[in-house]
Amino acid sequence: MRGGSRLLAGVLVGTWAAVYLVTQVLVVPPLGVLPTLAAGLVVSTVVVLGYPSALRGPRGPRRPRDPRGVRDGLTIAAAGRSMPLRNGLTPDAARRTAELIRPLLGGDAIAITDTEQVLAFVGPGSDHHHVGGTLQTRVSRLALDKKRTVVMHARDGIGCPEPGCPLRTAVVAPLAVADRVVGTLKVYRVHDEPAPRVLVDDMASMLSLHLELAEMDRESHLASDAKLDALRAQINPHFLFNILNTIASKSRTDPEESRQLLLRLSDFFRYAVRQDGHFAEFSQEYFFVRTYVSLEQARFGDRLRVRYDLDPQVLTSRVPVLVIQPIVENAVKHGIADSVTGGTVQLRARVDPLTRTTSIRVSDDGVGMAPEVLERLLAGERPGAGSTQHSGVGLWNISQRLDSLFGDRYSFDVASTPGKGTTVDLRIPLR
Amino acid sequence: MDDDVDAGHTPAEVDATFRTLRRVAVGYFVVFLLAVAAFPVLTLTLDWWSQARLAGGMSPGFLVAAFGLYVFFAVLGIAVARLSSAVEHRMLDGTPEGSPGEALDEPGERP
Repeated sequence: MRGGSRLLAGVLVGTWAAVYLVTQVLVVPPLGVLPTLAAGLVVSTVVVLGYPSALRGPRGPRRPRDPRGVRDGLTIAAAGRSMPLRNGLTPDAARRTAELIRPLLGGDAIAITDTEQVLAFVGPGSDHHHVGGTLQTRVSRLALDKKRTVVMHARDGIGCPEPGCPLRTAVVAPLAVADRVVGTLKVYRVHDEPAPRVLVDDMASMLSLHLELAEMDRESHLASDAKLDALRAQINPHFLFNILNTIASKSRTDPEESRQLLLRLSDFFRYAVRQDGHFAEFSQEYFFVRTYVSLEQARFGDRLRVRYDLDPQVLTSRVPVLVIQPIVENAVKHGIADSVTGGTVQLRARVDPLTRTTSIRVSDDGVGMAPEVLERLLAGERPGAGSTQHSGVGLWNISQRLDSLFGDRYSFDVASTPGKGTTVDLRIPLR
Repeated sequence: MDDDVDAGHTPAEVDATFRTLRRVAVGYFVVFLLAVAAFPVLTLTLDWWSQARLAGGMSPGFLVAAFGLYVFFAVLGIAVARLSSAVEHRMLDGTPEGSPGEALDEPGERP
């Protein structure tokens, strides 16, 4: 359950408690059951409908849950679910992992290394097995080189250069991502019986799996970032040339308007390049859209009309960045620009408090698109050589980004009728 | 020369803000109307509303008339004022960050 839903559930429980107190406990005689239920339902409905109506202020980033909270009653399954290495092989994650798995493996000391240095060491011997130091023991090098688990039954086999080292036996298992060894898991004991090899092997396999998942996560994030960068870099040069020409032509006849247009153009590019994350408040995206539209209106004049129809609740909801403007741009480019009489682009945004979704619709009454053009746009194919039409990479990119952000929890529908216009419907979870 | 780019709002932007603010006003008026209309309806339909004793020997209806409605009006008024200001701010403000025409922060990009 997400934070917002948890808060809403808490408010609802508090509401019913208040209704119960006022109608049953504090009053003589108590209210009947049916009127009490009716009162509770009315108040609950008001709360559910009114909850997203309040404009919420900026919210700070959510702090990740502390995986150390599962110390009591620790099981391997619980350790697996909360494994810090899920975020990658870092010193902090390695230390937390070593603390977490130490009681499970029956070792006196646990160390996690990468291929060069000790990332974490917990237990006896930590006075000279320093975190951040290079790998001192021969047994680590052996496991890294052979890419398999190594068991040492004697102190000499470990190869620690410190004469007073209390560690007597060691089981060292390599940590691998795909076929590449990226580190080791070392379980030491201060007596002659080494830790069970199978247990250490299994734990190393589990940690390797988490590292692979972390690697996949990292690649997925890189892909998402690349898609966003591509969209950011995709601002059509034709748009820039046209706007600059418009500004140049107006600079003689209407210098003040050309100055306003330059400022808007500056705002437009600043917003496009300054977006770091994947989400922004709807009002910011709305600012970006109206900046874009006002620039296009300077070029198209009365041929381009626009109508915004926004719920107040939607202004503070968080939407994926650079999603609405490309849709509006497509409406202008493919719907209005080719129409002799021009047309109207309508942006409609609503919040559904019951299904907790944000719906955004961009429609135009322009020339519409033939089915094959629509299909090409959604597929992201570029137009033929020499064409001045902008490619549909925008819509395809948006669809891919929504996929990576929401999985199957969104809908993105495009409907177009030649001669009547195009409608793009987007429904995403309310954030 | 006035540097305020906000003076250049397009009619569509102002129209959109007006319609959103009108939606806020109508929505809150409906809430106000329902709450005020609920009082006589409860008095006529629910005996408990007038005859039960809640605190200090006062009935729920009396308590609501004496205190509850004023609190409700105050809360409603503050809420609608804050919401309207926030809507206007978010729909008509210039840039979400920085001032209009402000250069980027990176070295070498300043004019």
